[in-house]
Amino acid sequence: MIVAERKPLSEIRGFVEDYYRLLVVGCGTCATVCLAGGEAEVKVVASGLRISFLQDEKEVEILEDCVTRQCEPEFVEKIQKRVEDEKVEAVVSLGCGVGVNFLAQKLETVPVFPGVNTKFFGAAVEPGVWIEMCAGCGNCILHLTGGVCPIARCSKSILNGPCGGSRDGKCEINPEVDCGWALIVERMKKLGTLDRLAERIPPRDWSTSHAGGPRKVVHVEVASLDDEKGETEP
Amino acid sequence: MSEEPLVVEEQTLCAPCTAACPVHTDTRRLVELIARGDYEDALELLLAANPFSSVCGRICHHPCEQSCRRVKVDAPVGLMRLKRFIVETTRDYRLSRREGARVPQEKQKVAVVGAGPSGLTAAGDLARQGFRVTVFERAETPGGLLGNAIPRYRLPYAVVREDIDDILALGVELRTGVAIGKDMLLEDLMGEGFAAVLVATGLSESRALAIPGIDAHGITLALPFLRTALSPQPPALGRRVVVIGGGNVAIDVARTARRLGVQSVVLVCLESREEMPAWKWEVEEAEEEGVRVMNSWGPRSVFTDEGVVKGLELKRCTAVFDAEGRFRPQFDETDAATVLADNVIIAIGQHGDLTCLAESKVALAGEGRIEWGRETLCTSVEGVFACGEVVTGPGSAVEAVFDGHRAAKTIAHFLETGEPLKQPPMEMPHLGDLPDDVAGKVKVLEPVAADMLSAEERVRDFSEIERAFTEAEALAEARRCLACTTGALADEEKCAACLTCVRICPFGVATIEKTAVMPEEKCQACGLCAAQCPAAAIALKRFGTDEMRGKLREIVTGMKRKGMSVPLVVSYCCLFEMTSRGFIRRAQEDCPQKGIFPVMVPCVARLSVVDLLSPFEVGADGVVVIACSEGSCLYPTAEERLLGRVRQAKGVLGEIGLEEDRIDYWKTQGSAEVSWTAFWELSRKKLERIRKSREGGTK
Repeated sequence: MIVAERKPLSEIRGFVEDYYRLLVVGCGTCATVCLAGGEAEVKVVASGLRISFLQDEKEVEILEDCVTRQCEPEFVEKIQKRVEDEKVEAVVSLGCGVGVNFLAQKLETVPVFPGVNTKFFGAAVEPGVWIEMCAGCGNCILHLTGGVCPIARCSKSILNGPCGGSRDGKCEINPEVDCGWALIVERMKKLGTLDRLAERIPPRDWSTSHAGGPRKVVHVEVASLDDEKGETEP
Repeated sequence: MSEEPLVVEEQTLCAPCTAACPVHTDTRRLVELIARGDYEDALELLLAANPFSSVCGRICHHPCEQSCRRVKVDAPVGLMRLKRFIVETTRDYRLSRREGARVPQEKQKVAVVGAGPSGLTAAGDLARQGFRVTVFERAETPGGLLGNAIPRYRLPYAVVREDIDDILALGVELRTGVAIGKDMLLEDLMGEGFAAVLVATGLSESRALAIPGIDAHGITLALPFLRTALSPQPPALGRRVVVIGGGNVAIDVARTARRLGVQSVVLVCLESREEMPAWKWEVEEAEEEGVRVMNSWGPRSVFTDEGVVKGLELKRCTAVFDAEGRFRPQFDETDAATVLADNVIIAIGQHGDLTCLAESKVALAGEGRIEWGRETLCTSVEGVFACGEVVTGPGSAVEAVFDGHRAAKTIAHFLETGEPLKQPPMEMPHLGDLPDDVAGKVKVLEPVAADMLSAEERVRDFSEIERAFTEAEALAEARRCLACTTGALADEEKCAACLTCVRICPFGVATIEKTAVMPEEKCQACGLCAAQCPAAAIALKRFGTDEMRGKLREIVTGMKRKGMSVPLVVSYCCLFEMTSRGFIRRAQEDCPQKGIFPVMVPCVARLSVVDLLSPFEVGADGVVVIACSEGSCLYPTAEERLLGRVRQAKGVLGEIGLEEDRIDYWKTQGSAEVSWTAFWELSRKKLERIRKSREGGTK
């Protein structure tokens, strides 16, 4: 899941200073689950902004909405319509960065501001706590490392660790951060496959990652019918 | 995202208390209204279901309590006494609502024979629909057995009269001292233009007993005895009285005899203790008052001296019912006993008096029974209906009321369409017992003790033996309601299956089946999941804060406009700490001067972050949350969760440059009256300081 965190309201307020009719839009999937930008948070942000504008005696209309996913045209359609029909001047998206991008692309002339900081792909290790577990590098090597990702979970993303900065299972950058390679070693011990680490993991091709430029996935079986419309354009 | 509260689907299940009540009084809602201090609405709710609410607040057999789900935790909620509290608290309101209660009566004429609970209920229902109703009553006073037999220590006549006067205020004509079948015939009524006649004459006669010596002087039947006991010249009794019978009437007779000064009262009945048809608590109270109960004995004969009763010969009863459950007592003639008596009172059941049918064509189905359609309430004569105990057999007051409602429905239908209405028996599906796993997690709250006079005081006279709840007691008892059927409901369209509800539910009720599910037979309606749901997908079925926010906006906006010199504080207060509604009402009235606006919430842990922030949106200067006192919250972890949300809300204020101190959290200390005013004062002073320092800062 994409994990995000709401931006401080003071920052959000700064984005929308010049507008009088705002729409705060939440996202019903990842942003909801990570408690950053679901419908409940939309209400909080809208309420906070209202209180803030009231303090300055500025009359600003703040509308609220939430869609199932801000990263799908069908779900975003209703926001497009609402923005147009209700003459919304600016949108604050509580979706992840994808949502902000996607809404911005769809809304064309209406500014979309980010209401959350998008952090990482992670898992809820306990209620209310998420940890980064995937870096989206485009060429998964988890089969080599016992299912623990060295790219995401090692501070240096090194392929043959641990480095000299590993201390009692923790990373030198922060004693609260687990050493990714210590996790890999422990896990492979449990699997009885520790010996595989004797084999060096070769340097990898980073072009599958962001180094290769913005990426694109096409499922021809679904996409082909709409090919002419160019819906798969990034 | 809609601004409207979550739409609640039509309830499929109801609370067991409501299902168990013969007239389906919405007891759950009643208790909620009491807890909120809406006593007048509570009375309206009661009277809509049961015009004999004053009576039933005293003598109902309260099946609602027997089925209360709290029995799995401690003891049922004292619903009957709560009803009594309502009718006693709202007397003035009830009198005022009678004015203008009269309904224009433009429809056909209906005659009701018998002014007991079933006949009068039907009369009231029909009058409310515009029928012209006349009730004929043989006795001089209305009420049937309620008014003319039940001893006053259980049911003062004024209480019966309260209910009856409501019905008469609708425009029902009451003609007492008119015996249909004697003074005028049933057929005459039809001749007088009554389009329908309802026979609701009840079971007015005591059954006699055929044993040797039964005609002796000093032997009476229960109902004549009870009637005389209510008169200015109560019956003279000897030193020793034996009552035959094991039902509630027998108990009434025995306890009445004690109150008439009889030292030795013995109750003899065929049934074993467990089989006695009298309510268990009635038997226990009778024993406390010195009544001796002899179970499993049957009367063999009366022994007399010169025609005067001296005692009873008894034989052991070995079984009351046969294998099919029919009444067929078996005796062991060799096991005998004797009991001395100066008077014997026979209370072995009642039967109807069908004099009113004299010379009519209404067919009988055997001796003393009217041929009658159980579902249509029709007799063999078109336009003549029968309801209540005369056809259903013995029951309780509330059952008679239920039958009265049914009679009104079928008669109205008949008069409007020419056809009677079929009303097959209907069971209301309900939640059932509280599951054990949840019951174990529900906080034990002992019931408010039912204060009763001591047995010595009770037998002195016919004064009422049980006092009513005080307001504080009623509110404390109302807190015990488990609020069945008001639990959480997740909107599957919105639910992201994030598991937050599952993780925070203190009763282990919430689960995810694709989306969140809170099984309603388990949910305790604490609202923690709803307050915390990031998708705003969960709502409590009977509690929304949207409406509250709307009201708040209205009130606060109105106040701001008037210009206030004091800071405006919205105070969310735990509803369950309220000990009098007067206190809250006064506080609300004082708001324009003092700046404190209390909002009562059934558990403040239901408040979401937005609930805490929204008063600021409409211009409040501060928010005070007052939770219940230490250790008294009904819901585990609720306080910690609420504190988390208070911190979140404070954080939001901080982010927009407002003082986090504008939100205060307190726990009630002692009582609401004692501590809340002090908390409000502290918050007010603090907000004044904040205001001053802000003004200083801007200079």
